[in-house]
Amino acid sequence: MSIKKPIWQHPFGYAESFIISFGILSVGFILEFILPKTQSTLVFPLNLILGISFFVLLVVSHFLFRKTKIHSFLSGIPLTIALVSSLSFLVILMGILPQVSSHKTGLIQQLGLNQMTSSYPFLMINVLLLIVLAFVSLRKTFPFKLKNWGFVCSHWGLWIVIFAGGLGSGDLRRLKMDVYENKIELQSYDENKKLYEMPLAIKLKDFLIDEFNPKLAIVENETGKLYEAQKPSMIMIEKGLHCDLQSWKIQVEEFYVASGRAGDRYYQLADFGAAPAAKVQAISPQNDTLQGWISCGSFNRPHESLKLNDQFSLVMTVPEPKRFSSVVTFYTPDGKKQDATLEVNKPVTVNGWKIYQLSYDDKMGRYSNKSILEVVRDPWQPYVYLGIFMMMIGAVYMFWKGRETIRE
Amino acid sequence: MIWSNFILVLLSSSLLWLLALILYKKEFLKRLFIVLGTVCIGAFIAFLWVKLERPPLRTLGETRLWYAFFLPAIGMITYMRWRYNWMLFYSLGLSLLFLVINYMHPENFSKTLMPALQSPWFVPHVVVYIFAYAFLAASSLVAVRGLYQHYYQKLDRKVMLMADNLVYLGFAFLSLGLLFGALWAKEAWGHYWTWDPKETWALITWLGYLIYIHRRHHMPNVSKSSLWILALAFVILLVCWFGVNYLPSAQFSVHTYSQAP
Repeated sequence: MSIKKPIWQHPFGYAESFIISFGILSVGFILEFILPKTQSTLVFPLNLILGISFFVLLVVSHFLFRKTKIHSFLSGIPLTIALVSSLSFLVILMGILPQVSSHKTGLIQQLGLNQMTSSYPFLMINVLLLIVLAFVSLRKTFPFKLKNWGFVCSHWGLWIVIFAGGLGSGDLRRLKMDVYENKIELQSYDENKKLYEMPLAIKLKDFLIDEFNPKLAIVENETGKLYEAQKPSMIMIEKGLHCDLQSWKIQVEEFYVASGRAGDRYYQLADFGAAPAAKVQAISPQNDTLQGWISCGSFNRPHESLKLNDQFSLVMTVPEPKRFSSVVTFYTPDGKKQDATLEVNKPVTVNGWKIYQLSYDDKMGRYSNKSILEVVRDPWQPYVYLGIFMMMIGAVYMFWKGRETIRE
Repeated sequence: MIWSNFILVLLSSSLLWLLALILYKKEFLKRLFIVLGTVCIGAFIAFLWVKLERPPLRTLGETRLWYAFFLPAIGMITYMRWRYNWMLFYSLGLSLLFLVINYMHPENFSKTLMPALQSPWFVPHVVVYIFAYAFLAASSLVAVRGLYQHYYQKLDRKVMLMADNLVYLGFAFLSLGLLFGALWAKEAWGHYWTWDPKETWALITWLGYLIYIHRRHHMPNVSKSSLWILALAFVILLVCWFGVNYLPSAQFSVHTYSQAP
């Protein structure tokens, strides 16, 4: 930019773009500061009507004003860069400050920095971005040239993702359901524990959990903290395991996944609450040999550790879940029944609701008879996905075409 | 033991790739040896799959095996398109590193993996990110070189062209990584975008490179500012990669897998 043009004279460039973006951010923060905090979001059908009107307005104004200077500024790269920079600034704040609602009334809360996605500056920058993105995409789409297909895909894709994702957030329902074995549940609750009646009932027939073996670890007697002088500090127990843990040589002589103590030893047992236990031999660096049983216990059985010396003890950790699943039956209002197995990463869709395996009663571990499910309804999801797939096509195009062929 | 044959794979792949490196000027032999080395890993994965009677995707060691397979495969595709020898051998080196880690830490083969990570999306999501980071790291090296040239010598046009190309490839992979992550998140915990700190920083990274691309497109003949943007974008990428865990927002992240005992 060798020729300096006075500011606020067309064509607008970077200076004007950044000043405008800064102004919008400032206005947004002022609004956030003075207006009362509301948690209202747009819900159906208001969001749909507003969205369609916005889109129609964009298209009409594009065709009316496409030859004007203001249009070329609004669809130009300087404003794009200024807006993306402003958005980055907001997102960086969001990436540093924890995004949790709080009842404190500091500056962070008053400026909405702890709930950025529902703050005025965030909203305003995004709306402006949508306008810019729509104008530039419309310009590249009409008249359509075949060589622009990658551009059209990626830009419209992003537009659809922001548009549908933003407008749809009010219609998104994410609720939880606690289901108990052999009981039918019809109610769900949100994060404020408010109850909702669901349009489907779920009966938990069986809750299955598959666990990894527990691990050996050495803890400090006084604090109970894990001793981690050397790695690995935890080793998974297996039958007949020989290993070095810190400076002790450990040998697992017997191991039961489910057992109970009777007299001076543990026996394999299938009782409710039976816990893992192992008979171990530990040889200290001074060649003293210790022997004893350790167990991580369960909700109804005590844990047991082996005292190695005044400072340290050998313990068994609580086993971690490998996979857990719920065998359920869904009942819908039209009288239909559907059996399914829910597992993490394997949700099932029933009657417009997607049902996820979320958690269980972790105090009870594998004896849990409660399964916690997440139920999600997101009617705008297909449109967001359309945008995502268009962006993916755009990304593949970008990979294949690279930079050279675009310029030279 | 299923894994006892692993040393054979490690040896044959390293040997084949070493031959490829020595014969890197003989186009056909180089490609043949690289493909054969990759096939060895693929065959071992198939063998594991059959023996374990499940896809070998459960443990970290198994996942590393998949990286070791996909890295040279993607490296080869990239090479066929862009002819970057260094990128090809970089991917081979990275793949060998994963194989060696697997060989050195056999105890990790049975290590626990939380259920949320046991997904077919896990491998593509991470592999694509590894590639994005590799390209973008390389682009920032080029940027530093460009800045040096700008201030002390004359800027070579080729440097800018190389930086642009690397950013385009890296950005394409970064976008795919983000989008795969979004699709996976929907399957795993009900929403495609939850503003998790790692997601937030990945978005910032994405926006940073987006600024660079637009700036270059707009002002192809102005290099200094673009180079600074590129260098800065890499700092953000590093925050996203390593730094997120140390930020105050990280306490709510699902991407920090440090396990309490």
